[in-house]
Amino acid sequence: MSEAPHTVKSYEEELKNLNSNIVKMGGFCEEALVKATQAIISRNSDNAETVIKNDEKIDKFETLVEQQVVNLIALRQPMAIDLRETVTALKISSDLERIGDLAKNISKRTLLLNENLPKNLIDALVRVSSNVQKQLKSILDAYLDRSSAMAVNVWEGDEYIDDLTNLCMQEVIKYLKENEKNLDDGTHLLFVTKNIERIGDHTTNIAEQIYYLVTGEYLEGDRPKGTEPVVTGEK
Amino acid sequence: MKKNGVNMIKISAKNVDVFYGKKQALFNINLDIEENQVTALIGPSGCGKSTFLRCLNRMNDVIDICKVQGEIVINDFNINDKGCDVVRLREKIGMVFQKPNPFPKTLYENISYGPSIHGMAQSKQEMDEIVEISLKKAALWEEVKDRLHEPGTGLSGGQQQRLCIARAISVQPEVILMDEPCSALDPIATAQIEELIDELKKEHTIIIVTHSMAQAARVSQRTGFFHLGELIEHGLTDKIFKNPDNTKTQDYITGRFG
Repeated sequence: MSEAPHTVKSYEEELKNLNSNIVKMGGFCEEALVKATQAIISRNSDNAETVIKNDEKIDKFETLVEQQVVNLIALRQPMAIDLRETVTALKISSDLERIGDLAKNISKRTLLLNENLPKNLIDALVRVSSNVQKQLKSILDAYLDRSSAMAVNVWEGDEYIDDLTNLCMQEVIKYLKENEKNLDDGTHLLFVTKNIERIGDHTTNIAEQIYYLVTGEYLEGDRPKGTEPVVTGEK
Repeated sequence: MKKNGVNMIKISAKNVDVFYGKKQALFNINLDIEENQVTALIGPSGCGKSTFLRCLNRMNDVIDICKVQGEIVINDFNINDKGCDVVRLREKIGMVFQKPNPFPKTLYENISYGPSIHGMAQSKQEMDEIVEISLKKAALWEEVKDRLHEPGTGLSGGQQQRLCIARAISVQPEVILMDEPCSALDPIATAQIEELIDELKKEHTIIIVTHSMAQAARVSQRTGFFHLGELIEHGLTDKIFKNPDNTKTQDYITGRFG
């Protein structure tokens, strides 16, 4: 926060504290997505279990942020930039909480997946995930730097995530069609792919919040959309 | 009153400078006040907001060393012109002060004084009506109708302030100036005055000086922020409190003033 400090130091502290809880919460979400992805690549169930367990921490942060926001509104009546800080913290925390849930769901499914999945599927999945990880990291940096330009970058980057998601879906559908035995793994992989893409969407929501936080204005226009969803029927 | 969806301008201050002796208190103030709206003036102590308010009904005339320059146009008439009848002006522009200041007379006489010196009532019956209507508009009638001939100073602080508002509106002013009207009142009395302000704006244009940011946000549609004798920013109240353009405004309303 670049503004001059508040005359009332305890108020300043409370806002800083709220800010740092969002940053910490975001850090846990980043870690969750990284570990969930590693679990898919390396078939390491320890990683997956850590993600599942750590989701509790993320949930607790959400409750904490919510309480802090309610207290700030009730006791400090924040205005202008402080009001936007307070309100966006609440909204960002709920997006981060969803990101945590989605990472947890990915990990639960990972534990059920077959040990030997085709490499092309893993590669396609990792490609989506590593790009979403980049988006998530950028958006947390944008929050720290209070940068509306970085937020807009992330917002626009979602189009590419949608494209990668569709490519990955196509691979999974091909895999499903190859053999009936692939049904279980293929279905889980479809959900895993979709969950990663949803994490990208929540990241975009956060971008909108940061834009509002910094500028006081809403990001106008429709969110960029990638290619149309895959058509599964044969022609 | 609206014209093509835009509020009419009731008061237009143009290049207003105010001096107390050699010290300049206001610097080139330009501000349009919209009709039937509540305009809040905020800013730290000594910023000039009350001085500006007092320019609007020439209250600064009573201070010998005070000199006002520039134009203040109300109804197409510059009130700083030599030909301005200050008594008539103050009939059109009422004022309510920080501390309730009823006359040491009965409730009835508090209200009837203005209308009688302005010759607004021809009979006792007409005067009774003016008193009743004024007290009703000030949301005080029900509480005091049985004791109209008791002293006004016997009321509670909140009631006294509503009495002063009733006294101000008894002469049907077009504009009501309020200088921190709630700073001596408890929260319930404050809420009653704020509700009253909301009602009064249907018939009057209101300008209120307040130190309470929350009050400015609650009661006004437009807000002007003064600092060191300058009007730093003015505009829609929700814009000022959610996303002001000027850093000084933001620092002030968020409690960051150095």
